[in-house]
Amino acid sequence: MSHDRARTDGLVPALELRGISKRYGPVVACDAVDLTVQRGEVHGLLGENGAGKSTLMKVLMGLVHADAGEVHRDGRRVEIDTPLQAAEHGLGMVHQHFSLIEPLTVWENVALGEPGRIDKDAVCADVEAVGKRYGLVVDPTRTVERLSAGERQRVELIKALRRDPRVLILDEPTSVLTIAESAALFDVLRTAVAAEGRGVILISHKLAEITAATDVVSVLRRGRLAFSCRTADTSAPELARQMVGRDVSLHAEGAALGLVVTDDPAKHLSPVLAGGLDAVPAEPPAPQVSADVQGTAALALHGLCVTGPDGRVLLDSLDLEVATGEIVALYGVEGNGQATLGDLLSGLLEPDAGTVRVDGTDVVLDRPGALHEAGVGVIPEDRHRSGVVLDMSVAENLVMTDLRRYSGRLLMRRAQVRAQAQELIERFAIRTPSIDAPLRTLSGGNQQRVVLARELSAGPTVLVAAQPTHGLDVGAIEDMYARLREAAASGVAVLLISTELEEVMALASRIAVISSGRITGVLDVAEASPQRLGMLVGGEAA
Amino acid sequence: MTGPAPVRRPLASYVVGSTGLRRPSADAWRTAGITVGCVALAMALAALLVTISDGSPSEVVDALYTGSIADAAGWSQTFVNAAPLLLVALGACIANRAGVFNIGQEGQLLIGAMVGCFVALRLQGPAWLVITVALVAAAAGGGAWSGISAAMYYTRGVNVVVTTLLLTFVAAQVVQFAVLSPSLLQEQGMGNGPARPQSDAVPEFLRLASFGQYPDLTIGVGAILAVVATVVLAVLLGRSRWGFRLSMLGLNPLAARHAGIRASRLGGSALVLSGAFAGLAGGVILMGTVFRLQPAISNNFGWDGLLVALVARSRPGLALPVAVLFGGLRAGSSYLASTGVPSYLVDVIQALLVLAFVVPPVLSALWGRRIRNRGAVPESPARPSAAAPAKEEVPV
Amino acid sequence: MWLDDGGTVLASALRLTAPLAFAACGEYLAERAGTLNISVEGMMLSGAFGAIAVGSATGSPTVGLFAGALVGLLVALVHANLSHRIQINTFVVGLVINIFVLGMTSFLLQTTEFSRSQVGVLRVPGLAEIPLLGVLFEQRWPFYLLLLVVPLTWFLVNRTRWGLELRAVGENPQAADVSGIKVNVRRRQALMWCGVMSGLGGAYLSVGLVGSFNNNMTAGRGFIVIAAVIFGAWRLKGTLLGCFLFGAADALRLALPSLGVELNAQLLVAAPYLLALAVMVVMAKSQREPRALSKPFERGLV
Repeated sequence: MSHDRARTDGLVPALELRGISKRYGPVVACDAVDLTVQRGEVHGLLGENGAGKSTLMKVLMGLVHADAGEVHRDGRRVEIDTPLQAAEHGLGMVHQHFSLIEPLTVWENVALGEPGRIDKDAVCADVEAVGKRYGLVVDPTRTVERLSAGERQRVELIKALRRDPRVLILDEPTSVLTIAESAALFDVLRTAVAAEGRGVILISHKLAEITAATDVVSVLRRGRLAFSCRTADTSAPELARQMVGRDVSLHAEGAALGLVVTDDPAKHLSPVLAGGLDAVPAEPPAPQVSADVQGTAALALHGLCVTGPDGRVLLDSLDLEVATGEIVALYGVEGNGQATLGDLLSGLLEPDAGTVRVDGTDVVLDRPGALHEAGVGVIPEDRHRSGVVLDMSVAENLVMTDLRRYSGRLLMRRAQVRAQAQELIERFAIRTPSIDAPLRTLSGGNQQRVVLARELSAGPTVLVAAQPTHGLDVGAIEDMYARLREAAASGVAVLLISTELEEVMALASRIAVISSGRITGVLDVAEASPQRLGMLVGGEAA
Repeated sequence: MTGPAPVRRPLASYVVGSTGLRRPSADAWRTAGITVGCVALAMALAALLVTISDGSPSEVVDALYTGSIADAAGWSQTFVNAAPLLLVALGACIANRAGVFNIGQEGQLLIGAMVGCFVALRLQGPAWLVITVALVAAAAGGGAWSGISAAMYYTRGVNVVVTTLLLTFVAAQVVQFAVLSPSLLQEQGMGNGPARPQSDAVPEFLRLASFGQYPDLTIGVGAILAVVATVVLAVLLGRSRWGFRLSMLGLNPLAARHAGIRASRLGGSALVLSGAFAGLAGGVILMGTVFRLQPAISNNFGWDGLLVALVARSRPGLALPVAVLFGGLRAGSSYLASTGVPSYLVDVIQALLVLAFVVPPVLSALWGRRIRNRGAVPESPARPSAAAPAKEEVPV
Repeated sequence: MWLDDGGTVLASALRLTAPLAFAACGEYLAERAGTLNISVEGMMLSGAFGAIAVGSATGSPTVGLFAGALVGLLVALVHANLSHRIQINTFVVGLVINIFVLGMTSFLLQTTEFSRSQVGVLRVPGLAEIPLLGVLFEQRWPFYLLLLVVPLTWFLVNRTRWGLELRAVGENPQAADVSGIKVNVRRRQALMWCGVMSGLGGAYLSVGLVGSFNNNMTAGRGFIVIAAVIFGAWRLKGTLLGCFLFGAADALRLALPSLGVELNAQLLVAAPYLLALAVMVVMAKSQREPRALSKPFERGLV
């Protein structure tokens, strides 16, 4: 692992992509993308969901074959057909969702994906040596499933760095990290880069992260390279504009892109949006409630405890209340119990202890569907997992939670199903070839609308929206924000579970922060600042 | 219940091609084409096998034809064989819809036959009552047997495929034990020679009736029962709330739970019901054709019935013709002896036929994807690559 | 007196364990890579048949033995390509293969004449005289192949890179894939090992123990092997212990009448299945089972 290769020649870039194109059927994921990464530089790659970042990186890692284009490493053209070849050409990757095998040990994971014999002692020594050099301490003989998210991230980094990559690619590396852990990570990146002349590609959709941690930034938009310049020469609003392809003036849109809009949101609201949705209040509904309305809260969670199958505490006596007409956000770093709470409120699991009260009545949690009947609508975090049935039709998906309404004693009333589906499709502007089309054929945004339409059509008291904008493009995000505000305005209690600080700040009137399955604090949006929230997220009192 | 609900993959979605999935028509045509090719290939292989073992394929076809559909007697025999196959297949359709893959029908059928036999031999009463109770008991026995698997799956998460499979062999020993125990079901020795491992014969008046007289077409109660069950089940699976909920459970158990479905109840009952159909098939075989409980009474009807469901992709309406086809092959196989070709040929043909129907949809989807991807090679207009001819460019 | 009886039963138990142990080495490895392979029965049966067919044709039971392994491999190739290349459900494939092999071997048995073919006994001088345990050293020679095959299987799974990748593929194929491991290739290779081992086990049954082939000769032994792997909680040691227990139960069943002991034969036959079921119920939550067991892998399909 020598680092004297560093900066021998500043003119030949460490990595150069020329005209990379990839198409999936009719969808163009990458369209003639050029990208140059110099040695010793942190190159930010920014783009909306679906802009082509992931495809581009998969091409680099040999997981996807480009239809056209060339990859040059240190000025030489290279062919990358497999992840193994990518590693041989000095490309290392830290994947967004960890590529670790949980039941295996750290050293086994680190050794995975290389050619040749395995030598436990050598690998263990490497893990310790690399860990020491970059300040990433981890015991090589421990089993990965016993490690925390931060430690797993370290293992991923060690795995990549041990192979002495000339270019290190990190795909959304901070999505499961606290702010402190993220800062430590960027520190390591600086050390690796500055000291050893490696190129780093940092993929993110968070503007703040990109502006803080990179030297050069490139923006992908709809598969094309839209913009590229030195980070110091640009600004967050400019980058946001490049990501979307037009001026970002809307408050909601800014939030969708990760801009914290600190001044009065009403000023940013464009007439277009305000005119289109006159029922929507121009600003987040004022906090109408506080602690003194206990018992009348539309949704009241008390002392919820959930333990995972491996004995880990997922929810730790969680308390939370949401009042009618209010949007409360549950904010925190991914993996701190949000998914568990979402599952619980979807009726997918029962807590070990605690109660869920809707409109003052305790819900019997061990009966599937009880929460739904009590008036809890849920937009689940992963709609494919529990929100929809991909192989059933749009119409069937629109009625599936209220089958009794659409059936006689035995048989379904088809005409009634179709009528209801038709109405919801129009009301929620769902774009579908027909009401009988399998849900699978719809775009992500339209699938999400199907979920929203179904859950709202039941006239819920409470709407739980878990990461409702994940994987959606900006237009769909705006629409989702408007619909959530509309729901709150019409008297639904909205619980927004989100990991996006900007989204939370833009939508909620109160922000509850979750850390390790506990609520570490609840702030009114007026008194919330990124700093205070950051401390709460880290589990500290603010 | 602690922790997140385990994500159980909807087995139904890949066991039998996604149930209820509407495929685009281009794929459907391609699938049909490949299926025809595969069936032809399967038949060619069977013919080759006959030829290399010094048989004559044409004689074999002739014998199979004579034994199955050449005349009314043949058809009668085909229906006798098709009825239990169809009953088993119907049960498999239900379980597959719910995403629980039951492969233990052979054992459930045996237990059903045993319980039915017990009732038929011990219960006193008017014939119609004893027959009804015996058939219901047979179904209950099969259902209870698959119910063991259901209980193990829904309380402890033990793989249904493994438990139903292993329980089949336990069932065989249970039946063996029953027919070897004079206190249970072993035949009362008639004085001459030791008692054999089988039960007494079901008395004449308790046997299932058939309509029609040899050599005319005869149709047994079992066949009528199976056809009625097919129609009812086709409607229920396709149109009823229950069928809707079953499909939902099979295709996405978590979404189903969100919609208020308790998997252990709906899926468990589907598994029990599938066992009950197999048990009923056992009762029908016992009281319609064999009349004595013997360890070999199941005669692979359980396995073959499952194959019928696989070929029919878990659709009752399709299971009917497939069961008749398989029943015909079984009926015809008894005529093979005259050609010198072992009747095991039919087992080989059945296995090949299943592959010929299971492989094409998958191949077709695979090729479809490949064709679509190839047809859309995106040569970017900005940088046309010299390697690809310009005419292949697809306008964006 | 009891020593003689004990020796007889032990000898018989060992003979009946060996075919299970061969196949179990294969099934264990396949399951660690994520395939719950129910066609192990078909692989054993075809191996048994292939061994006799080739042994009888060439006059050499040794050639037959290895031919049996090859026939098992052939069946495995079919299974591997159907379930881990074009992604047909592995249970459907296994079911069809079992029915096909049973029909095919029965068919061929009736249409062809086979002569007897049996490998010789290898008696280790001296050691074979030890009371009771002496039977260990007086077995048909392929028995001693187990001394090679068992450690080799353990070494492959636990000490080689190939084995590490197999385990990764059996636990988390998605993660293994992004690490650069060809998931379905590894699973196919694991199945091939299973085919060779099961073919060998079947061949040991025919050209080793019996010297001839009869209809449905394996009679569900493949499923006992599956039960043994479950019984052993997906560890090789436990799996082999399971094989021995189940072999011993079989031996007891055969020996009981002559020993004048009353024990229900049906219970002994069913014992392996019942034990495996009990173990599964007790151990269901212990997480020893490979997490991706019997879950197919396709890129982009989570």
